[in-house]
Amino acid sequence: MTEQRNRLKRFSAIHRLWHLGLILLFMTLSVTGIAWMYFETPWGRGLANLFGGYSGTLEIHRIVGLVLLAGFTLHILYLVHRIDWSNFPRSLFGPETLVFQWIDVKGFFNHLGWIFGFNKQPRFDRWSWWEKFDYWAVWWGLIIVGVTGLMLYNPVLTSDYMPGWMLNVALWVHRIEAVLAMGHIFTIHFTVEHWRPSSFPFNAAMFDGTMDLQEAKHEHPNWVARLEAEGRLADAIVPPPPVPLRIFYFLFGYSIILLGLFLLVFAIINATLLTLF
Amino acid sequence: MFIGQKIVCLLGVLLVALPAVGQDMNTPEEMAGTGYFRDQDTLPGAFRFYSQLPGGEGGLWGLGPDRQKISRSSFKMDAHEGVDDFSPELRCQKCHGLQIKDLHGLRMGIACVQCHRNQPVAGIYHYYSSLNPIRRHAYVCAKCHEGATPSFASYMVHEPNPIAPEARTTFPLLYYSIWFMLILAVGVFLFFLPYTAFWWLREFAAKLKGGQDHD
Ligand code: HEC
Ligand code: HEC
Ligand code: HEC
Repeated sequence: MTEQRNRLKRFSAIHRLWHLGLILLFMTLSVTGIAWMYFETPWGRGLANLFGGYSGTLEIHRIVGLVLLAGFTLHILYLVHRIDWSNFPRSLFGPETLVFQWIDVKGFFNHLGWIFGFNKQPRFDRWSWWEKFDYWAVWWGLIIVGVTGLMLYNPVLTSDYMPGWMLNVALWVHRIEAVLAMGHIFTIHFTVEHWRPSSFPFNAAMFDGTMDLQEAKHEHPNWVARLEAEGRLADAIVPPPPVPLRIFYFLFGYSIILLGLFLLVFAIINATLLTLF
Repeated sequence: MFIGQKIVCLLGVLLVALPAVGQDMNTPEEMAGTGYFRDQDTLPGAFRFYSQLPGGEGGLWGLGPDRQKISRSSFKMDAHEGVDDFSPELRCQKCHGLQIKDLHGLRMGIACVQCHRNQPVAGIYHYYSSLNPIRRHAYVCAKCHEGATPSFASYMVHEPNPIAPEARTTFPLLYYSIWFMLILAVGVFLFFLPYTAFWWLREFAAKLKGGQDHD
């Protein structure tokens, strides 16, 4: 427990709120979307029955999709508000932002080199290249799934603005992007964030907003060094969150992880029962 | 003699006309329909949706669906005329392997006859067929999709397999966009799954050696 005393502030309350909202909406969309996609199988129908059959499932899927798009719009407004416009293009770069920079290309190759034992572990600043990738992957996914989802929201209205056969295209694109997003979250994201030996069994940084200082020195050494050089390290040290809260975060996180694994495993098992074309 | 000829003539007319009347008969599913569709498909611009089928340019730079093979039965009043082993008692699924794979049937359990109407099943382009593109939206789709337009009805209910080579000519946009998405998705997994696995192993090895992972 002693090492827990030194914790570094990593995510603000609003960061964590974005992430929490995304988890809840993404998981609801995953369950209802998979229920609809697997509706011809007993498993899919069973899932859909939890939401009142296919019509209830689709209704929830559509409404939650709209809420997610609204949240995405809010997030963009938040960014517009957060950008330092007086320094505009320059303020987008630097170690504190999530914008991809040359250093991330180097970070990527050095990380790859480290995995295969060619060089030392790269010394990441606040964000490593994969953390930036994870952030922007949500943009790319939401844009694709959002545009096609809006098209499918009201197919009759959509076909006033484009030929109806665009819906054939939209449905497939929506499906593939959704499978890509879920597959990525339920395997790669969970492994990288929670099951790597250095963060196993659960990395609560995105939930309680703090990170163990020792761990930060190891995963983000340049960040800690920079905070120290700027004299901001002492301010960034925070007390550990109360134990009940930590237990709650753990239970919440693991119920989401287990739900994701449940969807993943049963989707794979039932894939053979699915008629796609 | 004369009267006899007239009767034959009348019978002839009836013979030609009756099947058409039969095509218009309401099935129970139809009567449950909304019967509602919008006026705008009588507007001049709406016609381009009719002209894309059969065959023609698919719209949107020719990237839309374009039925390459129109079978002769498409224009018949009874599509199964001359199909030797056909009988109305047989399930449609027995012979039409591709058509059972659409989402209306698979997920919503909608029967073929809810769109294709009762026996005799008309060819898609027969003049009186309810699925003829000039009235498909109103006679078929609008039963369940309120306000269906000709544009909406150009949705391919029985879409081709999007990754099959044939789709490149029968539905180019579907083919290209689905291949693009598939390559993107498979590419992401092909890259990240091994990457994450090796990364995990590297950390595990470092842990075994005693946490000296800065080397
Ligand atoms: C015995 C096999 C068999 C059965 C059963 C059968 N069909 Fe067909 N159907 C055919 C054949 C063969 C054709 C002609 C295909 C062609 O010309 O390419 C055809 C043609 C059609 C067409 C016209 C296709 C077009 O291009 O316009 C439609 C529509 C159709 N069938 C619907 C149905 C429906 C609905 C049922 C069930 C009520 C059904 N069929 C049952 C064999 C069958
Ligand atoms: C939701 C309405 C709908 C249902 C349900 C439906 N069809 Fe169709 N069918 C169509 C339309 C519309 C076409 C015209 C071409 C297209 O859009 O794919 C068509 C075309 C066809 C054709 C011509 C060949 C082709 O693929 O274009 C056949 C054969 C056919 N249907 C058979 C069936 C059979 C068999 C079933 C039941 C398993 C069925 N249909 C269910 C709407 C429907
Ligand atoms: C017997 C009722 C019925 C008929 C007839 C019917 N549909 Fe549907 N259709 C449904 C139902 C039910 C759904 C799924 C529920 C939903 O999307 O709200 C659906 C969904 C769709 C979708 C959306 C697919 C998706 O994944 O969201 C399209 C596009 C569509 N139908 C097109 C058509 C076209 C075109 C026709 C006419 C050829 C047609 N439908 C005829 C009942 C019908």
